[in-house]
This record gives sequence, structure tokens and C-alpha cells, in this order.
Amino acid sequence: MSSVHQRAPAPGSITMEVSLKIWRYDAETGEKELKRYDVEAPDWATLLDILDIIKDRQDGTLAYRKSCRMMICGSCGMRMDGGAVLACKTRMWEISQSGHVPVISPMGNLPVIKDLVVDMNPFWGKVRSVKPWLEPGYDEVAEKERIVSQQQMNVIHKEALCIMCGCCVSECNSMESDPEFLGPAALAKGMRFVGDARDQTAVERLNVLNEEHGIWDCTRCYFCNERCPKGVDPRDAIAKLGAESIKNGIDHDMGAKHAKWFVHSAKTTGWLREMELVPKTQGIVSAIKQTRFALDLARHGKIPPPFPPHVADRVNESRALYNLVKEQGRDGALGIVQGEHALGRIEFAEEAGTKVTAPEVQPGVEPPHAEG
Amino acid sequence: MEAKHDVLVVGAGCAGMRAAIEAHDAGADVALLSKIHPVRSHSGAAEGGINAALGNASEDSPEIHAYDTVKGSDYLGDQDAIEILCDEAPGDVYELEHWGAVFSRTEDGRIAQRPFGAAGAPRTAYAADITGHVLVHVLYEQVMKRDIPTYEEFFAWKLVMNDDRCQGVIAWDLLNGGLKSIGAKTVLLATGGAGRLYVGTTNAYACTGDGMSLAYRVGVPLKDMEMMQFHPTTLAPTGVLITEGCRGEGAYLLNSEGDRFLKNYAPNAMELASRDVISRAEQTEIDEGRGVDGNVLLDLRHLGADKILERLHGTRELSMVFAGVDPIYEPIPVRPGSHYHMGGVDTDVWGQTSVEGLYAAGECACVSVHGANRLGGNALMETITYGKRAGAHAADWALSHTTVEVPPSTETDAERELKELLDRTDGERPWKIRDELAQTMHENFGVFRREEQMEKQGEIVAGLRKRYERVVVDDKGEVFNNDLTQALELGFLLDLADAMIVAGIARKESRGAHARPYDYPDRDDENYMKHTLVTQTDGQAGLDWKAVTVTKWEPQERTY
Repeated sequence: MSSVHQRAPAPGSITMEVSLKIWRYDAETGEKELKRYDVEAPDWATLLDILDIIKDRQDGTLAYRKSCRMMICGSCGMRMDGGAVLACKTRMWEISQSGHVPVISPMGNLPVIKDLVVDMNPFWGKVRSVKPWLEPGYDEVAEKERIVSQQQMNVIHKEALCIMCGCCVSECNSMESDPEFLGPAALAKGMRFVGDARDQTAVERLNVLNEEHGIWDCTRCYFCNERCPKGVDPRDAIAKLGAESIKNGIDHDMGAKHAKWFVHSAKTTGWLREMELVPKTQGIVSAIKQTRFALDLARHGKIPPPFPPHVADRVNESRALYNLVKEQGRDGALGIVQGEHALGRIEFAEEAGTKVTAPEVQPGVEPPHAEG
Repeated sequence: MEAKHDVLVVGAGCAGMRAAIEAHDAGADVALLSKIHPVRSHSGAAEGGINAALGNASEDSPEIHAYDTVKGSDYLGDQDAIEILCDEAPGDVYELEHWGAVFSRTEDGRIAQRPFGAAGAPRTAYAADITGHVLVHVLYEQVMKRDIPTYEEFFAWKLVMNDDRCQGVIAWDLLNGGLKSIGAKTVLLATGGAGRLYVGTTNAYACTGDGMSLAYRVGVPLKDMEMMQFHPTTLAPTGVLITEGCRGEGAYLLNSEGDRFLKNYAPNAMELASRDVISRAEQTEIDEGRGVDGNVLLDLRHLGADKILERLHGTRELSMVFAGVDPIYEPIPVRPGSHYHMGGVDTDVWGQTSVEGLYAAGECACVSVHGANRLGGNALMETITYGKRAGAHAADWALSHTTVEVPPSTETDAERELKELLDRTDGERPWKIRDELAQTMHENFGVFRREEQMEKQGEIVAGLRKRYERVVVDDKGEVFNNDLTQALELGFLLDLADAMIVAGIARKESRGAHARPYDYPDRDDENYMKHTLVTQTDGQAGLDWKAVTVTKWEPQERTY
């Protein structure tokens, strides 16, 4: 469960006073101005409803996108107090009662066209670059549907929820420093196809996504997960792409090597051997250049001496875990998805105060492959 | 003229995109034009599913599907069109699956199907409760794959008529400003519905009946416009949709006394009766004082948390955000809200209108598949099957005709009209007219209708049209001026309200969504088993009739 649900009062006839400060931007003159608006609105009003009242009754020049007003079209992404939201999902009751006057601004990481309207072309360009369509690997069409289990479909369930609103891209720290970074939305779309049992080009796709500006350039700040209004969790999609890459032997990137070393280190000695991490990730040459830094660390007791090798007391447990994951074929995206499902159920069960139900995926059951 | 194409599809929801894909694959130079980005289209808000007799959940056949649809239409649907829909539906759904649609699956890995209202078998293929979303995205993926050019955020304002043919569209370019004329050998309207005519509606802000009005204004008749479907489960106050899939999964409808009141209205089908029947039952309960603050209650609690989380996750989120209710623990307050226009641009089974070169498909068209009442799950199917057919025919026609011309006078006339609107500074802002229209349509042309209320609504709309002549646009700028387009949308809505009222008064019977319990409570097959056709001449709505096509099902009494 990624989103926190606001409990607003049930619709009634009560009204509230809402004030907003909106960053106005005039594309023709390039002028910027933070303008305050005060409106009276029904208690159930969302941020989008407030903007509508302003546009209708106070200033028809205010520009923002909207359509469905039910969190499915993805038009009304914008920032409130610096964080991306869908305006139609944001109930204003609590904010208005607190007396806070939020600042409304356009989404980040995208050029502003007018007021709260941003240019989505860079966004769609990146989505297009991941070849976002199914490549079934053949032209002829099967007579009926292909046979795919629900369990296989679940691998891409969260990615398929994406409404392409851009909230994740707005908040992406990596994209802020590297505008060419593919970004969370395009990468989640990539995972939607890599994880699709019907797609025959997963390895090709993974090779492309492993290039510069690809999956390993994510800084893992998790802002995309936090701000996604639909629970897509793009960062988790990126993690799944990483897991699938390594599973398929695509590990030339430092990021992949880094991740692999963590696993290897945990499997062999049950703890992380920092001394070896740098050479294993960045290579010997790079490691030699950092010798001085390593010695400094050692002098201050920040890294234990490598000899004799220190083995954790209960290393057998981490080895058993490693073997279990391997045996059950859960070392790719599937393991992460199953983990998410299990966590989601536990979280819900805790929230509900009920007993945890059996996981839908039984350990040791290999999912069937797609046919047709 | 900015550009020209063989086929120009206006509107890029399921019907528009499916049409464009078909026209492209037939070898035509096709472009999409839409006032919002394709994936923002309201097809994406369809939740419950898409009907095709796949037979994955039980024995089923296109013939049973067709019979259910004919009966559901209250015998106003054209049976030839319905048979085509039901015969082609399974193949069209398999095609979507091959393109990658993320359908929910049965235990043996086939496309899952759930029961839906008034259906003789569990026929509604679904992707949890986001079926429309999944279809819009899979279609847009195919549009990207084919690199079909798209005029994004172009607001279609006028059809170009030349030589008695439709030869293009004049549109307002939202991002850059200015009117742009785009020539086309064929224009295919796929702009969706007009739910914004009502205050409580499941429809998006974008659903302002643009395509219906565009066709109406060049003399194409609108068919069965009185047939506006009220969906039984929408959230107060704004009408956010709660899917019929809830009832398909087994949810109950309760009144304030905790009774499953449908036992008094549809004792066999209960919550799975057809939408018109349930909406009337709810409205009766509410009117007779057995409602809860103007609502009835949709109870999902007995379905259990697991099922709700897996199959109705989106519904749970909608009711938590917009009603403050978690359906795992509390029933959801719901009421009827305007949802779907069975009526629309009169077309044949290839989407052709009475104007050469002009096509329509999806909700903006009236083939007629849905007659007086649409079954849940049939709308998405219609967008795909008839979008595909219209796209194929439009491409075929375009490839065998050559010239396209937009007369300069058409462009200068449009420029002048627009300038007049933009130059006006003294008058009324559109929102009051818009809100009054939506409020009064709800009061006077809603679930139940009376002659005198419809007459009164006619006068109200005439008054609003008069006021609309002096409407003022605040924004005079070029860049993203949707203050202008929202004013133009209101003009579309007013024209459609007029057409609906004329048709509604003329139909002196109760059939499907057109319920007149006070003066004409019964269906009258002898006099009214026929379509209304409203045509605009010199700004006035004129009425005509058209026979219903019957292939094999004679009208019977309709009970559930």
C-alpha cells in the first residue's frame, strides 16, 4: 500500500474557506508570480475543485489540465507544497481546517508552458524509447488467447496500473542531475514488458535498459514510490529490472556488480566485506587508486582487517536463504513480486487486526510458461 | 491548410485508436486528433469489463449475447448491428490479448469472465476493475508502435464541408494557439459521450458531446438522443463511478431498512438486473423515503477483504478517497448518475453517416447496438468492434478517392467567428450557464420524466442558449487557452440538450432509459418501436423517425 488515504468528511452541505498560493507563469512574457486566491467551497472539494472555482469565478486565465477527476486519466499532476500530487485525489478539508495556505506549482523536471501546464513531450519521448509495446516474437495470430497464469500476470500488475501522470518524474532526483536519465515512468513501462510472459524480447530490452542513463543510474531516493498516486512503485520496478538483468547474466554495469557482490558476500561469510566491495564493483585499477582512502578508513577502525576472514556466527541461515531463493526460481522479478504480495497481505492484516491468510503463491511451485 | 490525410480520426479513446490502427493497417495515411492526450481519454475510466461470448466461465454463444443485448435494449436496438457486434466480439477481444492487454485470468490461464447485469452467462472479460484503463493503454502502445501521427491537445471545433463532402476539421491548437485546418478525405468522429449535460455524472470534464454536435451542425441526424443511461452506482455528490463489477462479484443493494429492495423490482436477477431497472428502483426507494441521505447502500462486506483487494482494488480506493468509506468495513452510499448516451450520430453498420466522408464510432455514434438501454460491458466492446469497422471502411473509401480541399472562405469564416467571441468583454461567464444546464437537466430530464417538465426544460434551454450568445472568455491569450475551449464545449452541450428534449417529448411511451411512469407508463411497440432522429436546420431541431431493424427477435415483455 503506497498511498496514504485521506479521510475526508462524507459529502454534505457544509462549506469551507480554502486559500491557495499558485505560481502563475506567463509563457508569452516569461513572467512569474506567486498569487493568492481565497475561495469558499463545499466540504468535499478537492484541489481540482478549488482550481475550477478559481478559474470559473475569479480568473479564467488560470491554466491547468484536467479530465476524469477520478484518478485514472493522469491529467492533473502538479505540486502542492513542493510534492507532486494528482489534484483530483487531494481533498482539501484537513488543510483548510489547519489554516495552512499551500503553494501550488507545476510538476518538476519538465518545462513549464503556462501556469500549472508542463510540456509532456520529454516524458513521452522517454516512454517511447523503451519500445512500449508487446513483442510476441511472431506475426501470425493464435486462434484464441494465449495461456498465461494469473500468477504470471501478477508480475506486472503494479506496472500496469500506471496512468502516465508524471508525478514520479516530477520528483526524480536522478533526473534532476541527469536530464537524460530514463526516469521512473519509462522504466516502470519497461518492466511492464520485461515481466510480461508473452513478450519474447526481455533480454534485448534489458540490454538497452542497462545502458548509460538506464536502471543503474537511479539513486534509490524512493521519492517516485512515495509520490506515485496509483501505487505503481516505480523504484520497485527498477529493482525488478535489476534482478532480471543479473538473472540473465547482464551484469557489466557497476551497479549490477555492486549488487552481485552484496549477495556473494552475504552467502559466503554472512556479512558485507567492504574491503572487497570496491575492487569487485569498480575493478582493480579503480580500487588501487583508492588505497589511501581505504587505509585511512582502516586506521579509524571503520573497516576490519580482511585476514583472517571473519565469518558471521549464523552464516548458515543466510546460505540457506540464498539456496531457497535459487531452488524456487525466485531470483528474478518474481521473488520481489511475491515478496510485495506477502508484505501487502501482512500489512493489510495488521491494519485490519485479522489473521494473515495463506500466501497465494506456494513455495517451490514453478510458474508455467506462456503458451500459444 | 496545415496538413492533409486520408483519414482523420477525431477523438483518441478506445474507438478512435482502434479505428486509427485499422485504417493504418489498411494502408491509409491516418492521423488522430484529440483535445486531450490519448491515454487521458475517458474510455480509461471504464472499470468492469468488455463483453464477448468466449465461453471461458460457462457455456455461452454470440447468439445468447445478442439476445441479451436485444432484450436489454428494450427492443430498440437494431438487431443486425447487434448480431455483428456479438459475432465479431470474441475475435476482437483475442486480438486485444495478443497485443498485450493485461486481462485477469482463470485458473487454467484463459481470459477471466465475470457475471454482469442482464447477461445470461458470465461474459464480461475483465482486468480487475481497470479494464478500460488497460485497453486504452494497450491501444496507445499499438498507436506508438505504428507511429500514427497525433494532433495532441487540438480541439475540434468545426467540420469542413466542401462539395457536399466532409473534407477535414478546423481545430484550436491548445498548446500553440490559433485555428488550424486539417484536410482529410474522411473524418471519423470518436469523441465519446456528453455526460456533462448532467450535474451528477460518471463522465469526465472532457465528455461534452463534441462529435455529436459537430455532426449535428452539418445536418447529420442524431438518433435516440433521449436515451441517456443512468448508472445505478455512482458516488454522491459528483457521480464518480463504482463499477457494476461489484454486483458482478456479488455485492448487495440495500435501502435504509437494510432490505435488498430489488426483490420488489427484479426478483430473479436481483442486483444483476439491467441498469435502467435498477436505477429506477433506487430512485423509487429514495423518493419514497427509504434512502440514506439521498442514496442507497452498496454492500460489499460479505465478499471479504481478499476478493475486494484483488478484484475491486480501484473501487475501494475511489470510495475511500471520494466518500470516506472503506467498503471492507462499511457499505458505499450510491445513487443513479448520468453515465452513457445510447443515442448519438446516426450511422450504418460501417460507421457511415448521411454525409459523404463522415464517419462516427463509439459512444458518440448510434449504430444502434444499445437501443434504449445499454448492458454493462457492451460499450467497450462496441468501441473496439465498431471502431475497427469504421476505420476499415473510412480507409477503404479514402484510398479510392483523391482530392481534399479546405476552401479559404471556411477558414476565414471560422477566424471571424472566433475573433468575435474573443473580442467580447461585456457579458456572462460560462460557468453559470453550464451549472444551470446540468442542474435542470437532472431535475427535468432525469431517471423519471414528465411531459410538462420536459416542456419546461425546453424553455430553460432556450433561455440558456440566448444567454450563451453573450458569453465571455476571460483568457485572450494564445497559449493553453482552455478557457476558450470550455466556452465552445458549452455551445456543443446546449445544442445536444435541445435535441434530447425534442426527442424525449416525442416519444410518448416508457422504454429503457426513457421512463414516463406518470403519463405513459408502458412500452408501446405499435407506435414507438422506432428510432427518433433529430436534425438541425437553421438552428432549429426537427424530428423524424426511423424503423428498427428486426432480424429474429420479436418484442416480448421485459422482466428480470
